[in-house]
Amino acid sequence: MTRREFMDELDSLLRELPDKERLDILADYTEHFLIGLERGKSEQEIAGSLGSPKALAREILAGYRIHQAQSNASVRNMTRAIVATVSLGFFNLAFVLGPLLALLGVLVALFVVAISLFLAPLGFLLQYGIPGVSHERLMLLFASMATCGLGGMLAIGMARFSGWLYRQFLRYLQFNVRMIRGK
Amino acid sequence: MNVQFKKGVLELCVLVLVAQKDRYGYELVATISEKFHIAEGTVYPLLRRLTMEGFFTAYLAESPEGPPRKYYQLTEKGRTYMNDLVLEWRIFARGVNEIIEEGIGL
Repeated sequence: MTRREFMDELDSLLRELPDKERLDILADYTEHFLIGLERGKSEQEIAGSLGSPKALAREILAGYRIHQAQSNASVRNMTRAIVATVSLGFFNLAFVLGPLLALLGVLVALFVVAISLFLAPLGFLLQYGIPGVSHERLMLLFASMATCGLGGMLAIGMARFSGWLYRQFLRYLQFNVRMIRGK
Repeated sequence: MNVQFKKGVLELCVLVLVAQKDRYGYELVATISEKFHIAEGTVYPLLRRLTMEGFFTAYLAESPEGPPRKYYQLTEKGRTYMNDLVLEWRIFARGVNEIIEEGIGL
């Protein structure tokens, strides 16, 4: 592989990185080629010792995604970090996706509980209309107001809990990448 | 040698070499390649990561021949991290050596 082929392939594999980041990385490898040539090595020799652009790009992208997700928490970044981690090794799919799906399932279930508790008074009004003087109905109305409060608190707690989970999962991803890298 | 294992050791080697004096990428790659075989390209992502984590700072310096070189310098944080890794490595290596000596002799 010539220097041109190596650089072009790496460039296109890294195209999703911001320009500054990508150019910086390419500059590192250009410097490496130039110094190697200066010391009398051929382009083919240098490219051969560097390793395949595909393997290098995978490693660079995984590192970048995790860094992104850490400094800027969002579902999109998290997804990208996961995709990058999974693409490092197919066998890893079960280790990353399994726990993630289980966690998501629990989260969704808890949110549904919170929402239905919160909406209990609405349910009461839909079923009985504006309450009359009947004791049982007033009891039900107050009970539903209590669950409404509980639902609200649960929702707030869940929002915090999701943030915490997000951070834990990132650590888990890092752990996975370290494992694949053998650290 | 096992590839995964070697990659882990690579980080330690890079830290120690940069602790000795400021070095540029090619120099690091060449020094390590003399001792054991690596996929040379992986040194650069490693250098980026160590810089991003604050263990190295990087600066460009002209060279009498060829292009300017990006030099890496160890920070205080990097020195602490390196010392931890060296200690960990020594304990690990001693353990492995003892097991080998007891198992199959010197």
